[in-house]
Amino acid sequence: MQTHFLKSGITDITPDNMKEALQQAIEIEIATLPTYLSTYYSINRTPKQPALTAEFTERLLAQGLTEQQAATQAQEFSAKIMVFANKAGANVMSVLVEEMLHMSLAANVKQAMFGDPELIGKSPSVWPAYLAGHEPPFAINRAKLSHEQLATFLKIESPERLKARTVKVGAIPYYTIGEFYQGIEDCIRDHYRDDKDYHADRAQLIPDRGYYAQNNIDTIYYNKEHKPVYENSADAGNLIHVVDQASALKALETIVEQGEGADCDFDDKSHNELAHYYKFKQLQDELKAITLAFKKQFGDEMQVDKYFIHNIKDNANTTDYPPAIASVSTLTNAVYSYLFIMSQGCYHADEHTQFEIFMFGIHKTMLWILSSLCGEMTNFTYLGADGKQYAATATYEEYQFSSASSPKTQIIALFNQAVGAYKGIAYIEQRIHDLPDVSQAGFLEKSNTPLMA
Amino acid sequence: MSTLKDKPLSNGCGSQPVTPPSSDTADIKAPLELHACMGLNACKGHDRFGSNSCAGAGYCATETHVCHTLNNCAGQGGCGLFGDGAEQCKPGANDCSWQGSCATPIQAERFSTLGANKDKSVWLLARELFEQRMKKARRNVAEAPFSAGPPQAWLSSFGEYDSCGNSGDKSCSFGFNSPAENTQELVDRSRDELPKTLKNCACDDKD
Repeated sequence: MQTHFLKSGITDITPDNMKEALQQAIEIEIATLPTYLSTYYSINRTPKQPALTAEFTERLLAQGLTEQQAATQAQEFSAKIMVFANKAGANVMSVLVEEMLHMSLAANVKQAMFGDPELIGKSPSVWPAYLAGHEPPFAINRAKLSHEQLATFLKIESPERLKARTVKVGAIPYYTIGEFYQGIEDCIRDHYRDDKDYHADRAQLIPDRGYYAQNNIDTIYYNKEHKPVYENSADAGNLIHVVDQASALKALETIVEQGEGADCDFDDKSHNELAHYYKFKQLQDELKAITLAFKKQFGDEMQVDKYFIHNIKDNANTTDYPPAIASVSTLTNAVYSYLFIMSQGCYHADEHTQFEIFMFGIHKTMLWILSSLCGEMTNFTYLGADGKQYAATATYEEYQFSSASSPKTQIIALFNQAVGAYKGIAYIEQRIHDLPDVSQAGFLEKSNTPLMA
Repeated sequence: MSTLKDKPLSNGCGSQPVTPPSSDTADIKAPLELHACMGLNACKGHDRFGSNSCAGAGYCATETHVCHTLNNCAGQGGCGLFGDGAEQCKPGANDCSWQGSCATPIQAERFSTLGANKDKSVWLLARELFEQRMKKARRNVAEAPFSAGPPQAWLSSFGEYDSCGNSGDKSCSFGFNSPAENTQELVDRSRDELPKTLKNCACDDKD
């Protein structure tokens, strides 16, 4: 197997390692999810503005401003936080939905060419994590929003090679994700021209079934005048049914365009949406600007992020938490893991079954179960091993389901344990009971059990 | 296109209908028809309070599901907020259970986030689709209590009202806008563009 760089620096991908490369692409996309999710849920997108205004008014009065001046400026400062916190959340969520799209696009290509995209158990199990094959390797943390965390995001999405000494890595090596995909695309152009190379009859996640939405209420924020601003553009990409060389290349190009940009800094024809790298660069610049603005007004001790960022510990694990929080965290991990079981199931299901899994399983889980649990987790606080108090957070550790019963049955049991420890999650009980019952293996065409029973 | 006329102060927050129903939840009747919002009921006595005199004049949703994928029947999806462009073109008109795009009731301030109705009023589109359905059934339709849907502040007066998502209250001010004026602008613009929205929704549906 050839897994070296060509003289051009482009990863040498050949028919010998093409299947492995596509699986690696899927796992690169999956690896970004826990880090982006943890940062997203570290942001309190809707702080209490009256409390902020009152505190800033008091501080400004202490600086000698008149009541009118203090009230006016306090309103301005509190509005800055309200807009930025919400924008930061929309920014990260807008990338997250596209990373899930990328996972699906890469899986579609693998399904069409080789079959069996593997999604289960592919989230990084050790943190800090590393992108498989990236040269040079760099540490990725599950961490709160910060200048440093955004610097890591920029490394992930960088269109330029990172300036550091390379080391030999285990997977197929590459300098940037874009170059890795370019290696796959080159191989497809050279060796997979025939329609017979693509099995369009295999189940894929395809457009026009309602699976993918470029924007939702979580990818928008409100400006100072409380008008909605949309982070994603409707023409920035969609699911693609991979049936031939052209559609396979289009799917892979979409991934790179959204991540690193295709036309200047943008990923869409209408130039309404920045590519991920430039979105994160803009967010990092704005975080720096708001931090400096508050220090300038209120002094160097002012840490503006305390008003809208939960103080979560880097790479927290469920075992770090006391029992009550741990039970909710374990349930959250099981629900997170079930998303991948359902997603992988979609590649083995007939059209109607796939629709039921996706719309009533994956959508429901992402929007109304996992999202609720991740939000609940940040309401807990605990003492870390260093004696400091932290906000808890979901840990996105893949749960190991037993083969003795279905994952859904085990999730219900975990819910019963968790709600016994924390009644604040009782409202999601019916949502969990309404989930489709998707098995871990063997998959759906072999099962006679109704999914939605 | 809707031919409804605004009642004074009907679109802002906190305004009240001319004859508000009792807010006592004990008065809520067992629903005769499940529908997504004020003004979307097909028959007399089919609103939340069982007191409306005519189709389209009901006060409140009879269905109270929270959000996308959580509704149990056809026609219950509030819409907007989540779902793809095609789904968001069918507020209150989804074909099947769990296909409703988003929460009910649909407050006047809600806008679609994708598709031909993006950044425009969800309730006005829902009402238009309802009127089209009633026209096909040769039914007369009365004015809704609020001509652009129930304001969020009015809904909140019946208890906690929550709509979907993490981005915050749709009827709000950071101190530099009037929520009522923002809503009025949304309603006016959405009403002006409704014919174009319907045409584009139909095109998207064909695609």
